[in-house]
Amino acid sequence: MKQLNRLPNAGRTNPDQNINFTFNGKAYQGVMGDTLASALLANGVDVVGRSFKYSRPRGIVGHGAEEPNGIIQLGSGAATVPNLKVTQVELYEGLEASSVNGWPTINFDLMGIMGWFGRLMPPGFYYKTFMYPQKLWMTYEHFIRKAAGLGKTPVEADPDVYDKLNQHCDVLVVGAGPAGLVAAREAAEAGARVIIADEQSEFGGSLLASTQILNGVSASQWVADMVEQLKRYNNVQQLPRSTVFGYYDHNFLTILEKRTDHLGLSAGKGQRVRQRLHRVRAKQVVLATGAFERPLVFAHNDIPGVMQASSVSTYVNRYGVAPGSKLILATTNDNAYQTAIDWHTAGRDVVAVVDSRQSPNGELVEQVRALGIQIAVGHGVIEAKGGKRVRAAMVAPLNESGSAITGEVKRLPCDLIATSGGWSAAIHLSSHTGAKPVWDESIVSFRPGDSKQQECSVGACNGTFGLRDGLIEGATAGAKAAQLAGFGLGAVQFSPVELVELTQEPQQALFLVPHSRPPSRAPSQFVDLQLDVSAGGIELAVREGFESVEHVKRYTALGFGTDQGKLGNINGMAILANALNQSISETGTTIFRPSYTPTTFGAIAGRDVGELFDPERYTSAHRWHVEQGAKFEDVGQWKRPWYFPKVNETLDQAVNRECLAVRNSVGILDASTLGKIDIQGPDAAEFITRMYTNSYLKLAAGKCRYGVMLKEDGMIFDDGVCACLSENHYLMFTTTGGAAGVLAWLELWQQTEWPELQVYFTSVTDHWATATVTGPNARKVVAKVCQDIDLTPDQFGFMDWRDGTVAGVAARVFRISFTGELSFEINVPANYGRYVWEALIEAGKEFDITPYGTETMHVLRAEKGFIIVGQDTDGSMTPADMNMDWIVGKNKAFSFIGQRSLSRSDTLRDNRKQLVGLKTIDPNIVLPEGAQIVSDPKQPIPMSMQGHVTSSYYSANMGHSIALAVVKGGLNRLGDTVYCPAADGATVPAQIVSSVFYDPKGERQNV
Amino acid sequence: MSNTGHQPRSESPLHYGLTSQVTENASSSLVVREIHQGCHLTLRGDSGDTQFAHAVLQVTDVTLPTKPGTYIRSGNTSIYWLGPNEWLVTAASDALSLESALRQELKGHVAVVDVSGGQTQVNLSGEQVGSLLKKASVYDFGSWAEASDQSGRCTQTTFASASALVAKNADGSVDLIIRRSFSDYIMRWLLDAAR
Repeated sequence: MKQLNRLPNAGRTNPDQNINFTFNGKAYQGVMGDTLASALLANGVDVVGRSFKYSRPRGIVGHGAEEPNGIIQLGSGAATVPNLKVTQVELYEGLEASSVNGWPTINFDLMGIMGWFGRLMPPGFYYKTFMYPQKLWMTYEHFIRKAAGLGKTPVEADPDVYDKLNQHCDVLVVGAGPAGLVAAREAAEAGARVIIADEQSEFGGSLLASTQILNGVSASQWVADMVEQLKRYNNVQQLPRSTVFGYYDHNFLTILEKRTDHLGLSAGKGQRVRQRLHRVRAKQVVLATGAFERPLVFAHNDIPGVMQASSVSTYVNRYGVAPGSKLILATTNDNAYQTAIDWHTAGRDVVAVVDSRQSPNGELVEQVRALGIQIAVGHGVIEAKGGKRVRAAMVAPLNESGSAITGEVKRLPCDLIATSGGWSAAIHLSSHTGAKPVWDESIVSFRPGDSKQQECSVGACNGTFGLRDGLIEGATAGAKAAQLAGFGLGAVQFSPVELVELTQEPQQALFLVPHSRPPSRAPSQFVDLQLDVSAGGIELAVREGFESVEHVKRYTALGFGTDQGKLGNINGMAILANALNQSISETGTTIFRPSYTPTTFGAIAGRDVGELFDPERYTSAHRWHVEQGAKFEDVGQWKRPWYFPKVNETLDQAVNRECLAVRNSVGILDASTLGKIDIQGPDAAEFITRMYTNSYLKLAAGKCRYGVMLKEDGMIFDDGVCACLSENHYLMFTTTGGAAGVLAWLELWQQTEWPELQVYFTSVTDHWATATVTGPNARKVVAKVCQDIDLTPDQFGFMDWRDGTVAGVAARVFRISFTGELSFEINVPANYGRYVWEALIEAGKEFDITPYGTETMHVLRAEKGFIIVGQDTDGSMTPADMNMDWIVGKNKAFSFIGQRSLSRSDTLRDNRKQLVGLKTIDPNIVLPEGAQIVSDPKQPIPMSMQGHVTSSYYSANMGHSIALAVVKGGLNRLGDTVYCPAADGATVPAQIVSSVFYDPKGERQNV
Repeated sequence: MSNTGHQPRSESPLHYGLTSQVTENASSSLVVREIHQGCHLTLRGDSGDTQFAHAVLQVTDVTLPTKPGTYIRSGNTSIYWLGPNEWLVTAASDALSLESALRQELKGHVAVVDVSGGQTQVNLSGEQVGSLLKKASVYDFGSWAEASDQSGRCTQTTFASASALVAKNADGSVDLIIRRSFSDYIMRWLLDAAR
């Protein structure tokens, strides 16, 4: 198919390299260097989508991030990408795109016929129309979403790879237009580490579409020279296709770099990175983000063929595309006259320039006059005519302030209306920092507010719209930023760029072009094209009582779309200010927030996906467990064996078998994950005694003691055994999950409260591998591999530890028991962890030694009523609540953490929740953990909650289910029957019993 | 150790994680090797105590680094500054003998802790090391001066979602000292990052 609108002068595209693509199922051809937008315009595609509310046909308006209409879905299947802007998609061979909005098709649209539909959606439609009845909201929402066509997210897993880089630089330059380029060069010359990022495929910014001569060469040649110069600095990192989308505290900025998007969907084939998130910490930031041209608001300004003047020039000069043939240029300023010159130079017809000012005579204006182009001064385009393409402009004379029509309306045939209401500085990133934008009447734009970070704005984004001034500002800022970062003296090193700039006359501040009828009666004058917000809508919001710009934004949805109101916001605020009869500075602007442009979730996730989402920590015997077919449980980041099923065994069967094996013969548990802290120093015992509720001052070398730690509020936060290794040397065991927290806790108290205590802490969790051999046959197993420790009970008793050798490896053996059985916890350096584990398995063979996991560990300790901190406690339990008052030292010389809180009236209350056992009347019912407990199941709602089940299992050793629970005043209620209402409506009766089910005297561990 | 016919088998933390321990290939832009040193000791003491520093030098032949974020090396023995009163000593020798030698010489409030089983060292070399570090950590490694054979910069910092002690060598390669339980994760992460 022929590209109707392709010009002989190809601009920066390569006309010899054709690229095939499809749009809404139809095949087209573009050329290398096109965006999807320029290729569609080259092919004369007028309608690219349908509007959000009224479903009006819409065409391409802009050429960059500001585009409100050309929103498309790229590709299909897993890699499909919704809501891209045609102006930002680089064309590649085989590209497939479709409009996101246009149901059933963009050219024959059901909703277009149902023109009344938009009347259901006045401003505030969410709040008004669909508020009641609430039940129907789901139905409404479904309909609205379908009608709004927000694009489709892929349902399959993302096939692409994304990653993240942490960058540090002295100077980050955002935007590689003229001001940004010179700023980067000055900073680089001073020796600073520089990153310069630009969202476009090539550097140059506005110069890419400019006919300006700089230093005697064309704008594009000057840009090429600058890029080449910057390349020669090895302290400069150039990032094209990289959008700085967020500016956060401490000069932290985020950049989305698109690395393969321009090559096609999934061009990285799951290998090369599609998009990269740069997390930049910059000492200084130079913002050179340019400006957006402001469209004029007039009736039916949304008909395809109404475009930004600068966009028309860009398509002509940069892409070699003329999006039409007969142009009318509507302007309030000199600057836009360049578009008339560009259009004329391209050999197309300029019907007229319509200038709202009464007597413009600037140099550019005179150049246009000299070309014989008709200029209608003191006029405005008040309405566009046409359906799916502009056919004419209605032009009328305006009064001097541009607020009223003063004469006859004329119809001028044309197919393209380019508009310019001046320029709005792109203050978005500066706003992200919290800087409050300031309205500057002299440039009819907001300027960045006072800096809140180490940054400055230069060039157009600072309201400095002239090229020469922008270049000077950029160079000065680059040198200054380098100096502030510690490089150079702050003086500009390069001579100023030579160029001839035409003088311009003042622009007129005009936003809404008047119509013969008022906005409420005129054909829609669109402010925000993407969300169909009209001038009439904003005035209606004011009539309904909205005054704050933030409220009006939310009520009308102004600036809510994916373009974030880059074109519409300022016009909307100006119209609001006018309706409120106040100035724009009084009205203020809404606050811009990250992201500047939409950012993919993939880039934010990076490689933190799948198995890399969170670290998996392994013990030294992990592979053995895997080889044995263990099922694993996550305990914090650790992978712990949960149970070791034999062939066809269920969880319950395996756990019953493992439990019986430990009580009847011997089992072995990998306890390596327990936290272990080495404590040394002359004050070690004193320090430890302050941390635990009981005393360690008299603990002799070779002895161990169990303790609980409290927070200041008297509540249990960790427990474990502490062993005295030698004088002034201790080893503290913590819970698996509590290890890091306990170490930090010890350091906190030592460093901030008791620095006078001489004690050092070192984590040795990873150094030691621990195998717990437990059961009546445990001694016989250990004896087979350990000859140098006297294992006899009177020489090596319960709560003793010994140094020795196990299977030829130096070991520490502890007689600590979490099962209530005879136990040996064998600790060896982890390099020998698997070897010693296997030696113990081998030694235990004749006793049918049974490896068991965390589930059996839980059951066995529950049979003994041993608590698990974090399961039976929840941060609101004192030792007394756990029936462990015996562990609280009453006569310690120095207080311990939490002691005072134990004598508060609340902690002494009789009816606190206390740990008890529960025995279900039906021995086979296992209560669900977390089940609520009530005294009277027939009590009307709200029932009086008595507590809850904290641990619950079937005990093969007891032959019935067992549970631990916390019950109000439970220790005085032994023998009472309580009830657990279940989720299925049933009520399970249970008797309150002692929390120790098995071996209540504790004889079995003490042999 | 008792002579009972046992033949203890040692497995380094990356025994399973890094199957091809030697993947040296001149054309590789990134080479990852585990260098499992026999001895990792954590040393605590008062750096202002000249006796302490002197004793450390006597035993290890390495000057105790007191400048934050630096290490000093002599032969196979390195001492890394971890904090104002905390160092890591790595050596090719046996941990037990170095530990007892230090205990013998050091006086006063000090601590020597054997952590050899809990750590390993991974060497990263090749031209992509810098990018890899940018990917792994928020720390600004680019600000480091070049290392010499005797000393260089080091830091304990985040590494992917775990942590590492990172040190730069004179040849431009980087050593990571990582915890055993995180080593499989870190290796998996490195292999993913390097592809």
